Amino acid sequence: MDIETTCGTPVQVMECALDMGETMLRCGAEILRVEDTITRICTAYGGGIVDVFTILSLIILSWKTDAGENHTLTRRINPHATDLNKLEDLNALSRYICEKKPPCSEIQQKICAIMAPEERRIYKSKMTGYVLLASAFTLFFGGNLWDSLAAGIVAVLMYLWDYCFASHGRNRVVYSLVIAVVAGILCCISVLIGIGQNIDKVMIGSIMLMIPGINLMNALRDMMCGDIITGILRLAEALMMAIAIAVGFGIAIMLFGGLLR
Amino acid sequence: MIGIFCEKYFVMILTAAIGTIGYCLNVNIKRNKIVYGCVGGVVSTFLYCVCVEAQLSLLMQNLIPATVVTLYAEVLARIVKAPATVFLIPSIIPLVPGGRLYYTMRAIVDANVSDAKIYAMETLVIALGIAVGIVVISLMFYHISHKNIQYKVRFDQVEINAQKEAEDSSCAQKNLHG
Repeated sequence: MDIETTCGTPVQVMECALDMGETMLRCGAEILRVEDTITRICTAYGGGIVDVFTILSLIILSWKTDAGENHTLTRRINPHATDLNKLEDLNALSRYICEKKPPCSEIQQKICAIMAPEERRIYKSKMTGYVLLASAFTLFFGGNLWDSLAAGIVAVLMYLWDYCFASHGRNRVVYSLVIAVVAGILCCISVLIGIGQNIDKVMIGSIMLMIPGINLMNALRDMMCGDIITGILRLAEALMMAIAIAVGFGIAIMLFGGLLR
Repeated sequence: MIGIFCEKYFVMILTAAIGTIGYCLNVNIKRNKIVYGCVGGVVSTFLYCVCVEAQLSLLMQNLIPATVVTLYAEVLARIVKAPATVFLIPSIIPLVPGGRLYYTMRAIVDANVSDAKIYAMETLVIALGIAVGIVVISLMFYHISHKNIQYKVRFDQVEINAQKEAEDSSCAQKNLHG
């Protein structure tokens, strides 16, 4: 069989396809894109019949090759932060794979190169992003320059909090509740000290930092492409995160509310 | 008229552009694609301001910008060859009802039920407007790009094989009997 001589055994090809699917799903791709990529890779390497089933936390891939062998692999997907930069790279890689059909070892090397864990340090660009987002949206919703300064300071502190405590535990809802409480308390303190003047505008700026926009967007796109299960899972997660953020800021206001009037 | 419009909404559009750049950096979009996201954010804010000025309803104020921006993102995705999400998410961010969410929560904390109801309804209406805008255009593009998608041919083959087998067996039986 010519797959084995050129690229690797069918199981190796399937593992490559699953690697691609897993990494794309973790970077925040839609289900349709993941299933399409896996199907295309398997078909490119040897035809046959490909069955893929994907939800947010699981991929099942079953392949009946032209030689008549049946193979099935499953993989559990752990949650991961969205990263559109990597998603773009992976998309380009999948185009390259389907065109050139490189051997499996090369694919795995490329995936490893893209998904290499980033150095754990304070990224200036990301911190700038936090500050710009928070202070610009404070002005956008009608705050003054002092409010925007306060929101910027809160954003820096939130980035440092994120840097110290992120990736502990996999429940993002609880994590966003905690970070919302912290952000709310920081906003209240900034107003109490006298940097910010309108507590509501400072808080809106910080809320914009945490809004689960990508989850909501992907939920909509998934549902409309026919992947209702994943759409509902993502929508539920996004709604729970939004509620957690609201509750977190509510707790902070209840703690400090009396001092601010 | 245009002068008044510019004066009234200049700060909003400028801050929306800056905030969109911040969001792009935050979700780690490639540096050479931040410009597209920023343009999308400006377009959506500008259209939102125009709709507010034209005194359209709250639903339309968000539906129209969301529709236009989704069209922009889907077209750009086909030109630049990148996932549409990369352009869509930054463009939608200025429309997200962060302020309404805060005021809803604030009213609930203050036990002000009537205000809480109004703000919650407004938040839902805005979210609905954005969702409908995105869904309509994405659905169109989905049907265009997946028009000639090929599904599996397993069952056709099975039928053919079954027919063949039946013919073979009947032939074999004939041979046996003959």
